[in-house]
Amino acid sequence: MKKKMNNRDKTFLAVIIPVLVLFFLFNTLPMLKGVMYSFTNYRGYGTYENVGLRNYIDLFSDARVGKSYLFTFKYALVGTVLVNVISLVMALALNSRIRFKSALRGIYFVPNILGGLVIGYIFSFFFTYILPTVGNVFGISWLQNSILASEKYAWIGVLIVGVWQAVAMNTIIYISGLQTVPEEVYEASMLDGTGKWREFWKITLPLVMPFVTINLVLSTKNLLMVFDQIMALTKGGPAQSTESISYLIYRNGMDGGQFGFQSANAVIFFLVIVAISIFQMTVLNKKEEQL
Amino acid sequence: MAKSVWKKCLATGLAAAVGATALTGCGTEREDGRVEIEVVSYKPEAVVAFEKIADRFNETHDDIYLKIESPNEAMTILKTRFIREDYPDIIGIGGDINYSNFLDADLFLDISDLDILDTVNPAYLAINKELEFLPKEGTYALPYAANAAGVLYNKEIFEENGWEIPTTWDEFIALCETMQDVGVLPMYFGYKDTWTCLAPWNALAVGICDADVCNQVNLGETTFAEAYAPVAEKIRTLLDYAEPNPYAYSYNDACTAFARGESAMYVIGSYAIPQIKSVNPDMQIGSFTFPANDTEEENVLNSGIDLQFCVMNNTEHPEEVYEVLRYLYDDETIRIYQEDQGGIACKNGDFTLSAELEDMRTYIENSRMADYQDHHYPSEMSVDAMIQTYLLDEGAQAKETFLNRFDTEWERYNRDLIRRVNEYQEKTGGAQ
Amino acid sequence: MKKELTNIQKKYKGPKTNWMLTLVLILGTVTVFFPLYMAVIIAFKQPSEMTNDVAGALAFPSHWSLDNFRQAMEVTDFWHSLGNSLLITAATIILAILIHSIAGYVIGRSMAKKKGFRLIYLYIVSGMFVPFAILMMPLVKQTAQMGLGNKAGVVLLYLVFYMPMNVLLYAGYLKNIPEAMEEAANIDGASAWTTYWKVIFPMMSPMHATVAVLTALGTWNDVMTPLVIMSGTGQNTLPLAQLNFQTQFGTNYNLAFASYILALIPILIFYVICQKQILNGVANGAVKG
Repeated sequence: MKKKMNNRDKTFLAVIIPVLVLFFLFNTLPMLKGVMYSFTNYRGYGTYENVGLRNYIDLFSDARVGKSYLFTFKYALVGTVLVNVISLVMALALNSRIRFKSALRGIYFVPNILGGLVIGYIFSFFFTYILPTVGNVFGISWLQNSILASEKYAWIGVLIVGVWQAVAMNTIIYISGLQTVPEEVYEASMLDGTGKWREFWKITLPLVMPFVTINLVLSTKNLLMVFDQIMALTKGGPAQSTESISYLIYRNGMDGGQFGFQSANAVIFFLVIVAISIFQMTVLNKKEEQL
Repeated sequence: MAKSVWKKCLATGLAAAVGATALTGCGTEREDGRVEIEVVSYKPEAVVAFEKIADRFNETHDDIYLKIESPNEAMTILKTRFIREDYPDIIGIGGDINYSNFLDADLFLDISDLDILDTVNPAYLAINKELEFLPKEGTYALPYAANAAGVLYNKEIFEENGWEIPTTWDEFIALCETMQDVGVLPMYFGYKDTWTCLAPWNALAVGICDADVCNQVNLGETTFAEAYAPVAEKIRTLLDYAEPNPYAYSYNDACTAFARGESAMYVIGSYAIPQIKSVNPDMQIGSFTFPANDTEEENVLNSGIDLQFCVMNNTEHPEEVYEVLRYLYDDETIRIYQEDQGGIACKNGDFTLSAELEDMRTYIENSRMADYQDHHYPSEMSVDAMIQTYLLDEGAQAKETFLNRFDTEWERYNRDLIRRVNEYQEKTGGAQ
Repeated sequence: MKKELTNIQKKYKGPKTNWMLTLVLILGTVTVFFPLYMAVIIAFKQPSEMTNDVAGALAFPSHWSLDNFRQAMEVTDFWHSLGNSLLITAATIILAILIHSIAGYVIGRSMAKKKGFRLIYLYIVSGMFVPFAILMMPLVKQTAQMGLGNKAGVVLLYLVFYMPMNVLLYAGYLKNIPEAMEEAANIDGASAWTTYWKVIFPMMSPMHATVAVLTALGTWNDVMTPLVIMSGTGQNTLPLAQLNFQTQFGTNYNLAFASYILALIPILIFYVICQKQILNGVANGAVKG
């Protein structure tokens, strides 16, 4: 018997070691290298020197980096709220007594399977040519100029595309959450004469809270990493108003010769994401317990 | 027992590797034994010309195979390849800040001993010398074609209305007013693509400022707030004569609009002509030097090296590379390129100036030219986006904000360079 | 189980359909269909038909011709890009199911008893928070040095990027499979290795479907990884081709849109066929995750 267990342990080790090596080699190691480069003025090629903490000090005084963080957070925050509200409403609707339920669910999921880049190109045309024409025809002045060309509103254009795609995924998750709520709970509450609105706040929401946690964490993380849509819609413009952190790291790190500096930016970005995720999970877990 | 355990280990570990290597394609070794010389050019619009040039070479050489690639977003691809330490043999790039950076990173081979260098117009070799961060011995690039940036105009519209080419700033503005009065849109901009903001900027700056203004700033002799103030004012004035909301339209959109006669002029370099002609092949395009000043005598044509070939330090076949360079610099080859791309040949000799550049001839022949200012701007500073930001900013302090930002960011992005320039000055100061 | 329950309840309650809501939801599908409709219409038109009014962009083309599509296929080397995309996605899915499932199994079974495996679990799962941005630049260098700046490298990277999520899913699902299953097989004299592949692996098939769907959706549409890893190799994936041929499309929006439609069609077809499995897979991931 003991020998058998031994064999099992050995097999387990034989499986886990190569997996760990793979993971270390292509996840942890490059991350460590990134941290290392963040202390240099490396351009990506040629020679470089150690510059100590200068990149990090610069990060906090760099207006462009600051702007990109502001944009990314604004985008992620508003996006997360919108995505979760809309998809919860959609899920409730799609989970109620309607006809063509599965067909409708299927259709509303389509935006998620389409790639962000191509969708971005399609919407870019829509924002640049269709919306302004509609504005002209109906005399709606704020529509007459492409919103992607406006320093103030371009981020909304990016947001619309981001939300359009993210809602689809989150709706499905909320639907599966709603399905875990047993019908009897509702039946009981109906007997008590609870109103629909109260029913949602008092019964449905607490029961699907774990799914709210998943969705909040997932959508925040995805929205924080926005890249494809920016690439297709605005390329960070106009006036650098829609440069997301990922886009800036790509643009200036790979193309602009700021390999070292943007590595520092990436390190900070990583810490920010970890902090936000931990924060969300602790706060929401507490909520779950309370309810 | 232990053996079988290790087999499992291998099975799991190698599953990925085996699966993966099965996907790897074969290498680029040539079977016919010819030496392959890989050229990467940053001009995707010249892809047809280069295909012709490469085919002609390969038909006549059985020891060397010439492969010329012209990918899109070539600069990004080249830099990514450099990061990957995967170097071609020759690269075709512009004479701009990228050249300076690559040179500074010791990526290029000194080609001083190439025999054809004495056929190069010395003016262009001099431009390249100015692009060196720190003076460096040797020659590292073979200038191939130059371009000129000023104002492109629709000859048909000009002739119909009997308009003359303006030679001073006042004449230019007056012409724009006249155009608006008769319902012709003077200019079209594609400011959605930020880099197009640099076209009028350069054209103005070259006329108004000294060619070495960046170096003067590095040495602390002037500030951009001082030097660029009139440039900033004038580039904003141009907006009054352009389509509304130019930030909504891309370079492609602007080229198309100009090609379709939607505007009479377009402030962009001669490099846009092939693109415009692809939309409207019969279009009669002319171009003139941007009249940035109050008198004609002060005007300077904005001209820089559009394409030059640099040999990578790591090439394994320097002799074959020289053979390729000699072929590329052959009069006949240059003509193939010019037929397709226009522009100005950097080689001394009897080359036709493309018809579109005819109005600039006196400037070119008298060398009244200066390099693009942005060839000295670090790309990560994104001056193009700064200009766009400035133009979008309609506040009263916009100009001051912009120029001050220019000075502070310049110092930040160039501080290593400024330090090195000053150190170099100190070291060699006695000798000078 | 759940499904049966709701079905029974439905019968119980009788069909009290909320028609108002149904109608609203049907009208709402415009938000999904409109952008696609616009794309299709533009893809079929000729540049000369693109006038500057709403009708110019949205009315039917004067005749339906596949010319734009034919041209787009030539320009973007469509079949080649499609092949690359299929190869990368298929290889990633197969390897992910094989490797991530056994990793999830080993970790999931051991972490309750052994602290080391608990740490390994946390180590791998925490990889979920590592943004690609921080790995990107070092990975470009590293993969190139290892000769992996190609499709194989992209597959390998996907295997690593999706490992945290998939291990989490598999380890979570394992809780539904009683350990008695392996013990029984063990008594019959089968090794742990054989037991896994013969007994456990088939039992995890619902999770395989989920992992396949989630991994496939992520890899098929990903632009950034192939963009930085394969740039300059002349190889494209389908989305990458759209990015790389922007200059070729130039001002010809019709050609560009034909190419976009071509890029969307394969996954749409796949979705129409496997819609149920995909939706279930996504939902499963959330419930078990």
